[in-house]
Amino acid sequence: MDTIAYTNDLLYRFEEIFFHELSQINARCKVELVGSDYLNDRNIQGNTIEELVENCVQEIKMDGLVQEMTGKVGGKGILLKLNMKGCIHLPKEVKLKESGIDPYMCPLANMISEQIITKLNYMTTYSAGLEVNEKTGECLIYCAVYKDMDSIGVVSDWSKE
Amino acid sequence: MADILDVISSRQSIRKYTDEPISDEMIDKIVEAARWAPSGENEQPWHFIMVKDPETRKKIGDLCKVGTGQRGTAEHCLGEDHRFDVYEDPAERARVAEFYYSGMVSYFPANAPLVMVVIGELKGMMDTPYDLSAAIENAILEAHSLGLGACWVHGPAVYPRIVKKIKELLGIPTGLADYKMLAIVSIGWPSGRRSHPQGRKDASEFVHWEKFGNKKRS
Repeated sequence: MDTIAYTNDLLYRFEEIFFHELSQINARCKVELVGSDYLNDRNIQGNTIEELVENCVQEIKMDGLVQEMTGKVGGKGILLKLNMKGCIHLPKEVKLKESGIDPYMCPLANMISEQIITKLNYMTTYSAGLEVNEKTGECLIYCAVYKDMDSIGVVSDWSKE
Repeated sequence: MADILDVISSRQSIRKYTDEPISDEMIDKIVEAARWAPSGENEQPWHFIMVKDPETRKKIGDLCKVGTGQRGTAEHCLGEDHRFDVYEDPAERARVAEFYYSGMVSYFPANAPLVMVVIGELKGMMDTPYDLSAAIENAILEAHSLGLGACWVHGPAVYPRIVKKIKELLGIPTGLADYKMLAIVSIGWPSGRRSHPQGRKDASEFVHWEKFGNKKRS
């Protein structure tokens, strides 16, 4: 049995129904906890967000959830840009795109965001954009990470990052 | 019987209030209107936490600001805030966009004399979100008919983490299985009229006759 394919089929259907039930933006906001538990039993540390993200990325790669992955913080400290290739969830993103829904939930981004919140006491995070290239197997995730209230509203042009 | 369409069509979402308190009689009438909303199987799953305490309202306002601002900031940075393109003056567009992405657009419950937090039971229920929505609509229409202003705020309620914080603040059980928090309704005496009254689409844009896409009245 291909348990990953089975899991992706379940996720695809859940996300399709979620989108239908809640509409695009609401669905995206609602799924912030999906995947957030995965790294909680690891003692991942980091003195800075860059260190913590790097350590999360190494853990995720070692577990085989993704073949290649990098995380970069920019955008005046608000943007966490994740590049990955060969994610085990890519098939469900492809199915979503085929059904006319832009991918909106990345469990891997959510598990890193949870670590940022719990280990570095960030106030909140928001997965803002997912770009999935099914031909190359690559994904680009834009996560907004907010350390405190003052970081809300700190804007820059993320297309230049 | 008076035509309720006059009440419905003259209502606006009011986000600026005077400091004048709302009488208990008026609060009771708003609750009474909500109480008569339709609900699936007449289950009436709603509970309303009526918040007057200024400190609690400020904390709710802060969480509303975070809810809108965390998404608004990201949308702006990604160039996805096209909704503000309706403003032709670049300076005005920038001002309105900043008001939105800073989250300040949603801070107003802090300044409302009354904040009504709408939650609903889930276990054994058929249609909790829709039942709560009907109750909110009844409440804001009654508020309007009393001369009050109200605004339905859903933004912060879409994030599970923010919902948990609001539930903790108000002593609501925090489990996702316990109660759904659907929205916050801020209510108060209007401070002036809205500077940008929102229009509505013409019915011809969304009414279909007999089958989807057929715009010719049957």
